[in-house]
Amino acid sequence: MTMNFRLVWAAVCGMFICNASTYGQTDDTSPYSEAALVSESEWIAPGTGFTVGLTLTMDEGWHSYWINPGDVGEPIILTWDLPVGFSAGPIQWPYPEKIDAGPLRSYGYSDAVTFLVAIMPPEGPPEASVTLSTTADWLICEDVCLFAKETVSLSLPVRESLPAPGPHFEEIAAARAKLPVKDPAWTVEASHYSNSFALRVSPPTGAAQDLEGAYFFPAQIMLLEHAVDQPMSRDGDAFVFALQQSKYATELPDRLQGVLVAREGQYLDAARTVKALEINVPLRTAADQNTGSTLPILILFALIGGLLLNLMPCVFPVLSIKLLSFAQHNKLDRATRTWHGASFAAGVVVSFLVLAGLLFALRATGSQIGWGFQLQSPLFVAGMAFLFLAIGLNLFGVFDIRGFSFRGLSQSSASHSLMRSCLDGALATLVATPCTAPFMGAALGAAVVLPTAQALTIFVFLGLGMAAPYVILSMFPVLLDKLPRPGPWMETLKHVLAFPILGTTVWLAWIFGNQVGVNGLGLLLLGLLLFAAAVWILGWWPSVRVTSSVRNVTRGIALVIACVGIWSAYQGAQQESMSQADATPDSHWSDYSTEKVQQLSSEGRPVFVDFTATWCLTCQVNKKTTLSSSTLLSAFAQKGVVLMRADWTSRDAEITRALESHGRSGVPLYVLYPGNNDSPVLLPEVLTESIVLNALASLPNRAEALKTTISTET
Amino acid sequence: MKKYHATVFFSVMLAVLVFIGATQQSSSDDAEIGEPAPVFTLPGTDGESYDLESLQGEFVVLEWLNFGCPYVERHYRTGNMPALQKEFTEKGVKWLSIVSSAPGTQGYYESDEMNEQNEMMGGMQSAILLDPEGDVGKMYGAITTPHMYIIDKGGVLIYKGGIDDQPRASYEKTKLANNYVRAALEEAMNGDEVSVATSRPYGCSVKYKK
Repeated sequence: MTMNFRLVWAAVCGMFICNASTYGQTDDTSPYSEAALVSESEWIAPGTGFTVGLTLTMDEGWHSYWINPGDVGEPIILTWDLPVGFSAGPIQWPYPEKIDAGPLRSYGYSDAVTFLVAIMPPEGPPEASVTLSTTADWLICEDVCLFAKETVSLSLPVRESLPAPGPHFEEIAAARAKLPVKDPAWTVEASHYSNSFALRVSPPTGAAQDLEGAYFFPAQIMLLEHAVDQPMSRDGDAFVFALQQSKYATELPDRLQGVLVAREGQYLDAARTVKALEINVPLRTAADQNTGSTLPILILFALIGGLLLNLMPCVFPVLSIKLLSFAQHNKLDRATRTWHGASFAAGVVVSFLVLAGLLFALRATGSQIGWGFQLQSPLFVAGMAFLFLAIGLNLFGVFDIRGFSFRGLSQSSASHSLMRSCLDGALATLVATPCTAPFMGAALGAAVVLPTAQALTIFVFLGLGMAAPYVILSMFPVLLDKLPRPGPWMETLKHVLAFPILGTTVWLAWIFGNQVGVNGLGLLLLGLLLFAAAVWILGWWPSVRVTSSVRNVTRGIALVIACVGIWSAYQGAQQESMSQADATPDSHWSDYSTEKVQQLSSEGRPVFVDFTATWCLTCQVNKKTTLSSSTLLSAFAQKGVVLMRADWTSRDAEITRALESHGRSGVPLYVLYPGNNDSPVLLPEVLTESIVLNALASLPNRAEALKTTISTET
Repeated sequence: MKKYHATVFFSVMLAVLVFIGATQQSSSDDAEIGEPAPVFTLPGTDGESYDLESLQGEFVVLEWLNFGCPYVERHYRTGNMPALQKEFTEKGVKWLSIVSSAPGTQGYYESDEMNEQNEMMGGMQSAILLDPEGDVGKMYGAITTPHMYIIDKGGVLIYKGGIDDQPRASYEKTKLANNYVRAALEEAMNGDEVSVATSRPYGCSVKYKK
C-alpha cells in the first residue's frame, strides 16, 4: 500500500513541478488537511464498546466529501489496523453541507469534521495498552483536487473498570450532535413521478416548524440532480420537496435514503433539537402497482368475486336447477360427473374470456373504457346511477327483465352431453352479467387498465371462482343436501341486496354532486325519481289487468317521463362546465388543447403547457412555488406566452397522446413551444423560476412576437 | 371522496403501467442516450476547426480533459488513456479531447503549450479541442475530467459517463478496472447494443468560467 501510494504521490508532485509550481508542494501526504484519531474514553475496558473519531482539519477553502460526494469528489475511506479481536464499525457520517462550484454541486465538509466509528474490544485478559491504527484515504479539493492519505494511530491503556471520559470526550460528543437523527415520530413518504421525486415530510404534532430552506441530501449516488434546487411547498401540516432525478440514474431504488438538513442556523422542529433528520423510506412508484405485488391480491379478489356471483339472484337459480337436475342422476359415476363439472367450468371461463375480449376490443378502438376514469365524467356517473337504480328496483320486484328464461336452462340440464354442460356454463355467465357490475366493477376496472395478459388472468379467475361451487358439488354430490333449496328466502335475499345496490346509487349521486354542484345534483335526483316512476309504470301496470290501449297509453307516458328524467339528469351534468369555471379563478391558464397549441404556434405565439395532475406531488410543488410566482407570470406576459394547463388527474386521451408525442408516459411535463418552427423545449420535471426564465430568455419580446404575427397574417 | 380518489389514483397508476416501455427523452439540446448528440464546432490545438456534424459516418469519442487534474494525470501517466486512444483511433474512431477549463483556471493552456503538455503525457487522441467559454461542456453536461461520451456513426449518443468503474484505483491497478469506454466501443463496433450506456462520471470538476 505504502509503496503504491508513493508512486501516486511522486506522479502528482511531478505534475506540479512541470506545472510552473502553482502550488508549493512538500512531501506532505495530506496536503491542506490533517487527520487525527481521538477516543471518547480515557481507557479501554475489555468487551465494552466505545467510540473513536477520525478528525480531519482542513485549510480554509478546502473540502472533503460525504458518503455521496455529489457531482464531484470521493468519500473518505478508512482502512483499520487493529489488535487481534478488535472490530471497527462503519463510518457514522455527520450531515454534510453543500459545496457549489459553478454549475456543479458537491456534498461535503469544510474546516473540520469528525467521522465517528464504533470500536468493539474483545473480552479477555487485559493487556497493558493497545494501539488502534487507521489509514485514511481522502480527496481534498478547493478549485482543484488532490489525493490525501495519512495513517493515524491512538494508544490507549486497558483497564477492567468502566471507561471514564477522556480529554476528547467533548469533541466526540460534538460530532455525535452532527449525526442525523432517526425519529419515527416524523412521517416521511417518498414517491416517484416521471423523472422526479416528491419527499413528503410531516413533523410530529406540536413540533411544526417552517422547513423553509431545508435541503435533502440524497445518500444514494447518481439518483438526484445535485445542483438543481429543491422547491418546497406546504401541504397541510406536511412539507413536500420536489427533487429532480439524475440523468445518470439507471434504475430506481426500492427506498429513498438521505438526510434532511435544516437551513443554516435553523432547526427542523420547534423544540430546536433536530438539525438533521435521517430519511430512509420505501419509494412508491408506478411500478409498485405493477404485477408482482398486486396481481396475487387481484386474483384473490377475482376468485372471491366469482364465488359470490353464485349467490346473486340471477345466478343462484341457474346453479341450483342445474345441480338439482344433476342430483337426480346420481347414478352417474364419479368420473363422468367430474367431467360435467369441468365442462361447466370451461363454459364459464370461456364466456368470461369472451367478455374480456369484448372489453379489449373496445379499449383498442379508442373508447378507452376504464371504470376509474369514466367516473370523472358526470354523464357517465349519471348513467351509472340510473343503472343501479334500475337494478335496485328490479331486485325489489318493481319490474322484471324478460328474455332470459331459466326454463331453457333446466330443460337443457336434462341432457347429459358434456357440450350441454359447457353451454350451461356460458349461459350462467350471460345470465349473471346484470348482477356482475356492482360487485366486480373494481376488478373489471383494474383488468381494463392492466396489461392484456394480466387482465386475462383476472377474468379467468373470475370464471373459476364462479364455477368453483359447481365443480366441487359435481365431485361430491353428498354436499348437495346441505345446499338451501330455491324458495321464498331468495325473494327476501333479493330485497336485502337491493339496499346496497341503492346505496351505490347514493354514492354515485354524491360523486356527481361533487362534480357539478348542488343544482346539478338536484336535477339528477329529479331525473332518478322520474325514471323510477317510468319503470314502475312499465313494470307494474301490465300486471294490473288493463286493456291493451290503456297499456299503450301508459307506456307512452312512461317513455315521456323517462325521457324527461334523463333530460333532467343531462342538464344536471351540464352544470359541470359552469362550476368548473367558477372553481378555476386562475385566469392566466387555459385548458389544454392540441389543436389550439398548433394554431397558436402557426401564428407565431409561444405556448407553455403544464402537464399536471392533482395526485402528482411534484406537479403541485412546481405549481405552488414556481408557476404561480408573479415574476414568472409577468415574464410570460412580456414574451406573450399563452399558458395552458393539461390536467391529467383523470386520464384524458388527448393529453395522453400529447405526453406520448414528447416520449413521456406520465406527469410532470413542462413544454415550451417557442412559436416559430423550432422544436418544443422540454423543461426539467422539477421547475425553478430561473429554469423557466432561462428558457424564456431565448424567445423574442412580445412586441417582436406580435410583429411576426402581423407579418404572417398580411 | 377518499374512496373515489383512491379509485382514480389506482386506475391512473395502472394506466401509467400500460405505457411503461415508452422511452424517456428530454430536451433536444441535451446529450441523451439514444438521441442525436448535440452538434458543435470547436478549434483544435492543431489549428484545424472541428465540426461534429462533418464526422457523421464515424464513431466519435469525446473526452473532457484537464492535464492539471490528478485523475486525468493517473489515466495518462499509467498509459491507460493513451493506449485506449491508440487502440481505437487505429480502428478509425475519431477521438476528441475537449478542454473546457476557462483561462486562468487549472488545465487551461494556449494551443502550443497544450500540445507540449499532451506530448509529455503521451496523448494519442485525434485532436484536442479548446472550449474556454465552456459552451460545449455545458451543452453536454460534462461535469468531471475525465468525462466520456461516445457517438455512433449515425451521430447518436451511445455512452456517457466515467471512463471506468474504479474512481479510487491505484496507479498499478488503473488498467485492471472495468473500462466502460472500451466495452461500449467494442459492442457498438460489433453492431451490438451498448450494455452499459451510462455510468457515474468521476474525477475533478470541470473548471468552467465563473
